[in-house]
Amino acid sequence: MASRLFEETVLPHLDAAFNYARWLTRNDSEAEDVVQDACLRAMRFFSSLREDNARAWLLTIVRNSWYSRISRRKEIAESTAGDHDRGESADDALDPEERLLQQYTIARVRAALEQLPVDFREVIVLRELEGLPYKEIAAIVSVPIGTVMSRLSRARERLMTLLTPSDSMGRLP
Amino acid sequence: MSCELVERDLSAYLDRELDIDAATAIRSHLTDCVACRRLVAQREALGRLVRSAPYHSAPERLRARISASTTRSRFARRFLPLAAAATVLVSAGIGAAVMRLAPAASVAMVDQVVDGHVRSLMADHLFDVQSTDQHTVKPWFLGKVDFAPPVVDLSAIGFPLVGGRLDYLGGQPVAALVYQRQKHTINVFVSPEKSSGPTDVVRAARGFRVHHWVRDGMSFWAVSDLNDAELTQFVRALQTS
Repeated sequence: MASRLFEETVLPHLDAAFNYARWLTRNDSEAEDVVQDACLRAMRFFSSLREDNARAWLLTIVRNSWYSRISRRKEIAESTAGDHDRGESADDALDPEERLLQQYTIARVRAALEQLPVDFREVIVLRELEGLPYKEIAAIVSVPIGTVMSRLSRARERLMTLLTPSDSMGRLP
Repeated sequence: MSCELVERDLSAYLDRELDIDAATAIRSHLTDCVACRRLVAQREALGRLVRSAPYHSAPERLRARISASTTRSRFARRFLPLAAAATVLVSAGIGAAVMRLAPAASVAMVDQVVDGHVRSLMADHLFDVQSTDQHTVKPWFLGKVDFAPPVVDLSAIGFPLVGGRLDYLGGQPVAALVYQRQKHTINVFVSPEKSSGPTDVVRAARGFRVHHWVRDGMSFWAVSDLNDAELTQFVRALQTS
C-alpha cells in the first residue's frame, strides 16, 4: 500500500466523508471521530479498493464505522439531539432582512432533515448534497436500487410535509 | 399513464434515473396534466430547498490529523522493514520451525473449520449480513477485513448464496460466505494467502466434508454435511466462476 496513493485517491473525498458522517451523527465531534476511524480503516484496507470509485468506497467505510460505533453503544434508538448552536452561514451579499430570512430557511431545512429517520436522511444527503447516482447510493447503503428509489420517494414526501407549514415563510412556491 | 404512476415515479424521474421509455411516458403525460405539472414544480422547489441545507466540509484540524497519520504510516513503512530484518536475524538462530505456519489441510485446521461450521449452525449466528445478493454481501466486508472476498452467486445451479459473516480461523479474521443446498448449509471461509497451496484437497471429519484450495492469493475452506458429489460440484463451480 502506498500512502501517497492513499492521499491522492482517498483524501480528496474527505469533505464528502465528513458531510455524510455529520448528517448521520448530527454532531460535529462525533462526526470527526467517525471520519478519523473510517480513514484509519481505509488506510489499513486500502489494498481491498478494487474498483476505481474511491468516494463510494470511503463512504461505505464511513457508514460501517458509524454503525459499528452505535451498535457498540447500543444507541440505535437515536436518542441524541444534534447540536444546533452553530450559526448558519448565509449569503453576505444579501441585505440584513434577506439574510435573516435565508438563515431562517436554512435552519428549517436542517431541522427537517435531522428529524428524518436515518434511513431516509442518508439517502437524501447522498442524493441531494453529494449528487450521487442511485447505483452508488445502493452500494454505499448496501440495499438494492429499488429500495433507494422508494426511500428517496418516501423521504421527499416526508420533507414536503415538514417544510410546507401554513405560515408564509417556508412555503414552497 | 395515470397520475398515480407519475406520482410513484416522480422522484426517480426528477433524479433522471428512469429509463428512457418511462421518462418519455411521464413527459408526455405532463404536457396534458396540469395537476402533475404542479406536482413536478413543487418537487423541484423542494429539491432546491433541500440542497440549501448546510454542506459540512471537513474541519482543517481533522484534515491535518488524518494527513499526519498517513505520514506516520509512511515513516513506519520505511523503518519497520529494518526492524523486521533484525528480527529475522535473531529468529534464524532459534530455528526454522517458526518460519511460517503452513496453511496445509492439517488435522488441526480441518478440526477448526468443522468447529466453525458447527458453531455457526448452533449459535444462531449464521449471518451478520443476510442477503442473496452478492452485491450486498461483498461490500459488507469492506472495512471489516483487509481483503475483498470473491462473492459469487451460484443460485443458477442450485446453491443460492444466503449471507455472510465475520469469523475466525486459526486466530485470523476470515470472511465466511454461506450457501444453501436444500436443507444443507455450506460455509465457505475465505482469507488471503500469500503462498501457493493445493488446488483441492478433501478431508472428512465428524460426518462433515471439507474442501480446501488456494487460488488467486486466497485460501478457501468449504465445509458442509452435504454428500460428496454435490459438494464437489459446488466447489468446482466456485473455482471456475
